[in-house]
Amino acid sequence: MKRIVIIFFIIFISLSCTAWLDVKPYDKISEDELFSKEDGFLKHLNGIYIELNRDMLYGSTLTVEMLEIMGGSYVIGTDNSIWGNYKDLAEYNYGTQYWRARMNETWNKAYSLILNCNLLLENLEKTSVRFTGENYKLIKGEALALRAMLHFDMLRLFGPVISRNPHQKSIPYYKEYTLTPNDLLAASEVAQEITNDLLEARILLANDPIREGAVTGNRNLRLNYYAVAALLARTNLYFGDKESAYYYSTEVIRAADEGVFPFVDRSLVTGSPEDPDRIFSSEVIFALSHSQRNTLFKNYYDPSRIPNYVFRMDNSLMSNLIFGGGAMTGGNQDDYRYRVNWVATGSNRYYYKYADMNDTGSIVNTMIPMIRLGEMYLIAAESVSDDLDGGLYYVNKLRAARGVAALPSLTQENLQYEYIRELYSEGQIFFMYKRMFSRILRSVNEKENPQPSDALFVVPLPDSETEN
Amino acid sequence: MLNFRYILLTIFLFLGPMLTAQDHMAVLSGKVIDSADGYPIVGAAVMTQDSKYGVVTDLDGVFELRIPAEPYEILVSCIGYDDVVMFFNGKNKSAFSKIVMKVNATQLDDVVVTGVYERKKESFTGASATFKTDQLKSVGSANVLQSLKTLDPSFKMMESTQFGSNPNMMPDIEIRGKTSVVGLKEEYGTDPNQPLFILDGFETTLETIMNLNMNRVASVTILKDAASTAIYGSKASNGVVVVETKAPSRGRLQLSYKGDFGLSLADLSDYNLMNSREKLDFEILAGVYKDKSGNPFAQVRLDNLRNERLKEIERGVDTYWLSEPVRPGFTHKHNIYAEGGEDKIRYGIGLSYGNVGGVMKESDRQTLEGNVDLIYRTGKFQFSNKLTINWLDTTNPTVSFAEYAYANPYYRKYGKDGVIEKYLYYPEEGVEDYPVANPLWNAHLNNWDMSSGFGFTNNFIFEWFVLEELRMRAKFGITKQDDDEQTRLSPLHSQFDDLGETEKGLYTHTQIKDLSYEGDVSVTYGKLIAKKHMINAVAGFNFSSDKMQVYGYSANGFTDDQFDAPSFANGYPSGDKPDYNESLKRAASFYINGGYAYSDRYLLDFNYRLDGASMFGTGNRFRNTWSVGLGWNIHKEPFMKDNEFFSLLKLRSSVGNPGNQNFSAYQAFSTYKFNGWMTNIFGAGVILNALGNTDLAWQETTNYDVGVDLTFWGERINITADYYWKDTDPLLAVITTPGSMGVTSVAMNAGSQKTRGWEAALRISPIYRPSEGINWNLSVNAVSVRSRYADIGDSFSALNESGKTSLYGTTRYYDGGSPTAIWAVRSAGIDPATGKELFITKDGTYSFTYDIDDEVVVGDTQPKIEGLFGTMLYFKGLSVSCYFRYRWGGQLFNTSLFQKVENIGTEDVYNNQDRRALYDRWSETNREAYFKGISMVQKTEKSSRFVMDDNAVIGESFNIGYEFPDRIVRRMHMGALNVQLTMTDVFRATTVRVERGIDYPFARSVTLAVGVTF
Repeated sequence: MKRIVIIFFIIFISLSCTAWLDVKPYDKISEDELFSKEDGFLKHLNGIYIELNRDMLYGSTLTVEMLEIMGGSYVIGTDNSIWGNYKDLAEYNYGTQYWRARMNETWNKAYSLILNCNLLLENLEKTSVRFTGENYKLIKGEALALRAMLHFDMLRLFGPVISRNPHQKSIPYYKEYTLTPNDLLAASEVAQEITNDLLEARILLANDPIREGAVTGNRNLRLNYYAVAALLARTNLYFGDKESAYYYSTEVIRAADEGVFPFVDRSLVTGSPEDPDRIFSSEVIFALSHSQRNTLFKNYYDPSRIPNYVFRMDNSLMSNLIFGGGAMTGGNQDDYRYRVNWVATGSNRYYYKYADMNDTGSIVNTMIPMIRLGEMYLIAAESVSDDLDGGLYYVNKLRAARGVAALPSLTQENLQYEYIRELYSEGQIFFMYKRMFSRILRSVNEKENPQPSDALFVVPLPDSETEN
Repeated sequence: MLNFRYILLTIFLFLGPMLTAQDHMAVLSGKVIDSADGYPIVGAAVMTQDSKYGVVTDLDGVFELRIPAEPYEILVSCIGYDDVVMFFNGKNKSAFSKIVMKVNATQLDDVVVTGVYERKKESFTGASATFKTDQLKSVGSANVLQSLKTLDPSFKMMESTQFGSNPNMMPDIEIRGKTSVVGLKEEYGTDPNQPLFILDGFETTLETIMNLNMNRVASVTILKDAASTAIYGSKASNGVVVVETKAPSRGRLQLSYKGDFGLSLADLSDYNLMNSREKLDFEILAGVYKDKSGNPFAQVRLDNLRNERLKEIERGVDTYWLSEPVRPGFTHKHNIYAEGGEDKIRYGIGLSYGNVGGVMKESDRQTLEGNVDLIYRTGKFQFSNKLTINWLDTTNPTVSFAEYAYANPYYRKYGKDGVIEKYLYYPEEGVEDYPVANPLWNAHLNNWDMSSGFGFTNNFIFEWFVLEELRMRAKFGITKQDDDEQTRLSPLHSQFDDLGETEKGLYTHTQIKDLSYEGDVSVTYGKLIAKKHMINAVAGFNFSSDKMQVYGYSANGFTDDQFDAPSFANGYPSGDKPDYNESLKRAASFYINGGYAYSDRYLLDFNYRLDGASMFGTGNRFRNTWSVGLGWNIHKEPFMKDNEFFSLLKLRSSVGNPGNQNFSAYQAFSTYKFNGWMTNIFGAGVILNALGNTDLAWQETTNYDVGVDLTFWGERINITADYYWKDTDPLLAVITTPGSMGVTSVAMNAGSQKTRGWEAALRISPIYRPSEGINWNLSVNAVSVRSRYADIGDSFSALNESGKTSLYGTTRYYDGGSPTAIWAVRSAGIDPATGKELFITKDGTYSFTYDIDDEVVVGDTQPKIEGLFGTMLYFKGLSVSCYFRYRWGGQLFNTSLFQKVENIGTEDVYNNQDRRALYDRWSETNREAYFKGISMVQKTEKSSRFVMDDNAVIGESFNIGYEFPDRIVRRMHMGALNVQLTMTDVFRATTVRVERGIDYPFARSVTLAVGVTF
């Protein structure tokens, strides 16, 4: 009898011991607790989307600020006391302490979100939680697409010019949570991984509510089915697979034609409306939602900032090429994009794309466009055939929606102007030059334009990667 | 065994009087005295061999035993003395009038108390050292740990160059060297090399031991090797310090008072600062008064400034700033203890108060401690409870000592009319120059930095003496400690000069709440079988939990210097949020210990412990610790029987694998947090907070030890020597990772560390006459330890890189490298022709270009040998002792030379500097110089030129004590009276001059200790 009691006692103690040693932190959220409910998965996914708004990522660095300076979009003065570190960047001097630190920040944050995606995916894999409706597939698809998108942007920034050196070692691709560092992969291998992830995401998102024909439930603030298709168009064009690029861009265009992403209502943008929709929100396939988006305007574009320390386009570039120059350039001051976004103060025009609409509570005022319909038309134009003129149809369809006349023919320069008009300040222009390995358009005076080179296009891997 | 007998005896003594009420009784009466001093022995048991009759001596050592008038063997016994057996033939009553007992040399001193079990030192195979309260008090009365440092060289208290003798700073402590990678403390706040502290059988904190009034301590044991520490399993790899407080002794109510009165003075002898004339000369040579732009107006201003300062110097201004923040620090500590009781119940009530005054102004530490000890015994059961309530109050200076060391001697302390001015120098309008703040200004403001704490500990122990050889014990201890830290900076503080009016001043408040408990159930067995086989065994289960919560916030915007209540703050610093941190650690273990001795000659000890702890990953939650120890008492061998020369000759060895769990609570699992900076239309978001490593393995140290204990020549020579090697594998370290892993650092297992060392102690007593109370000891001991890393590969390459690029970093992590090695480029000195430093490259060629990749090991901060030597003279109550510390064969990187002689930058030139910055500098006229020419722009790289031999002899403790003889004490109506005068850190003779005590100076102190028993 005594023995039985002792044995039971020992069993009881050893069982309760293991449970007793399982300590859950109170001031932090433990992994087990977070992923014990569907809500936890949604919160974590939302957390990743929110973090994309950080300054070192799409909150400014990879949209309006660093990448656009590298893309030659703004006049950067030479006075160090005003322009400080921007001058080094405009000269593509990536080796300064400041820019090395900034690159570190961007790289570390991007990969920390990739780690978050991987942890989310891993927990989805092993969870026994029952999800409502399509949620499981949606969360998984979006996490895969986010992982691919972040890797893609790191590849575009730190990888080689892929058309010239596809097999050069570029960046590591993390597909799972690990404590052993992954090796650098060749750019072509990274491209394959990105494509695989996006394709898997596309399948998972096949029943996305957005496919029912309209943006519901703010799906345009998520990597929805069409956003993944649009990303596939963008990535395939970048990797040189024009056929796929055409396939996916036209898939999005068809959906837009069916009314999912209608062209902006002209009454909202022309004729000096009280409250223009400056980002053409209906055409945005995927946008971030940044609660303080107007700081972008205030920090970078507001003419009331210190004189000259404002981001704006070179005057002659604007009047001679982008929004002027007639049939040769396709630039026209009737362009909606000019009329709505470029407002004169004194002798200069300033950029108002990120200024708030009057309706302060509007979701539109929080949107940072990540991928838009216009780019799909330009990708389709570029990839429909080997001959650029073959893409005239798509370029002119887009131009018609912007209130400007059709172009008679299409050259690479014309196409670049179109990209600048459509995607200005969205962090895509530098990558366009890198993809085309072309000079960077900064001035009407060709001599002043930086010539293509690896030193210019390939940012050295950050110290945090190479030194550890 | 004796303990059991003694306990049994006390039970019978209690019954004794009832049994003695018979006819034909003989009355034996007499006095039991100590053979050495003739003092009466209180509490000695006098009883018949069959334990039927017995009594205990009273306070005068007098007894009266009634027994039947028949032949009896009478046994007289007392803890600490050899038993005396006398024969009573029914008549020889007079033989009992005076019974002399001899102190047992191998008893009380030689019991090893591990906190879990007790073992006779003679039959124990582990390496340990036990010190009793008298020994501890004879080398100092600051605290237990300070004294241990002087008594055992393997117990090392790291000297903090930064914090000096600040009474409120907790020291870093090591036993037998480090087992963990340096740098974890910065990461986690807990020192991974800190030993485990056990107080009365319960785990406790370093701070509790530091606060403990030494007069309450009965003994301290240091457990060093695997055989002695393994019973603590995965907490034991850094060694264990076991402190036992005094238990109340029985007898009539006894009151004792112990007081310590101390005086400390700042030791500023290591400061070698310039006087005003030297400083001005230096500034002139450094080009401070030469305008670089060549602007004549600016040059005139600088000339005037120089002349102004020169005039002041001519007027005799040579301010000695270092005297400003220091003061003589007075310390007084008091302890009153009342104890008494009889066999069933014993009690002790104590009150301790201590006020330690640091050598800097506004630096105090007050402690108040009350304790109630109760022991109740009935039949086979004993209940004991120790309750301690403590209160703590500390204040710290708000201006660090360094700021005074920076102040130039050519400034006056006070302006006209004796007013303290905010600035010693403030540049005129339009002049680009740094203002120089007056340290006295910030010090005279209403700033404070103080903390207070309140806590209690209650330890309850229940024991059941099932059989003579079998005992069961259950323990439960609970400790609650709340601390409260507050700092306040006045709005007039120079730190707030650039802030708006509503943002000046700062108040911070931090609250720390800690609750820990520990429970333990164990069974102890001990029996001598067939007079040859001694078997000891302990098995038990232990669980513990420690929960700490930290709350904090700050407020700013005070408008007034005087009114300092937090309610006068204007608001919270913008963007600030309340701090909250919580950590919960739990552990549970099973353990078993066994000891076997064959005729006291062949000894075997083993330990096994299974530990589980919440800090470790689910994949590695449990861990096994084992150890085996073997010993051979050669002096007990039959062939040594006739040998009178050796009273102890023992060989012992042990091996085991204790672990370390001084790590943060949640590093094994991932945690998440809200991204509080933004929400969106979808609501809140959650993101990874810290990445855990579920596969994190426990840090484990395989520990080998071989040792010998020798006592010979009539106990006059005593030698203990140990050789040990430790292999910590795997190490646990925080490793920086490539950014692409998504985290920049992660706790990982990496590589190993191998340590080898020896320690030896020799004590000789040229005069050893215990019976006359005369004893003269000479002692010397030495330790030596060497460590190296293995299999770490380039896990620490990031630390190496940051060390290379940092100004001072001389520590590197390479396979085969020593953790204490100093890495730098070798220097051939200053080239007399050019004044440039000539470096020696890796391949031995000379070069003027400095290349960090040429760095090699140029020294090691670990001395080749270090230890203490001393002498002690005991002459009939008078004792004199002195102990000196020595170290030889180590090096150090002299930061004073590196920073205050060379590398004086444009901003530093306005601070006072080391005197050597002016002399022995290279110039056209002094080409054979050790230091480069004076320059403000030249950067000096770390080279072997600044690495110096650090050999030292330190007068660590001088003591003189007197125990008043019985007759004088009696006349004063006291039970005992003793006084002791102790001086610590009396002198230092070193081969290198380097500033010590940067933020707080070191102290030398004298303490008078008084002990009275009524």
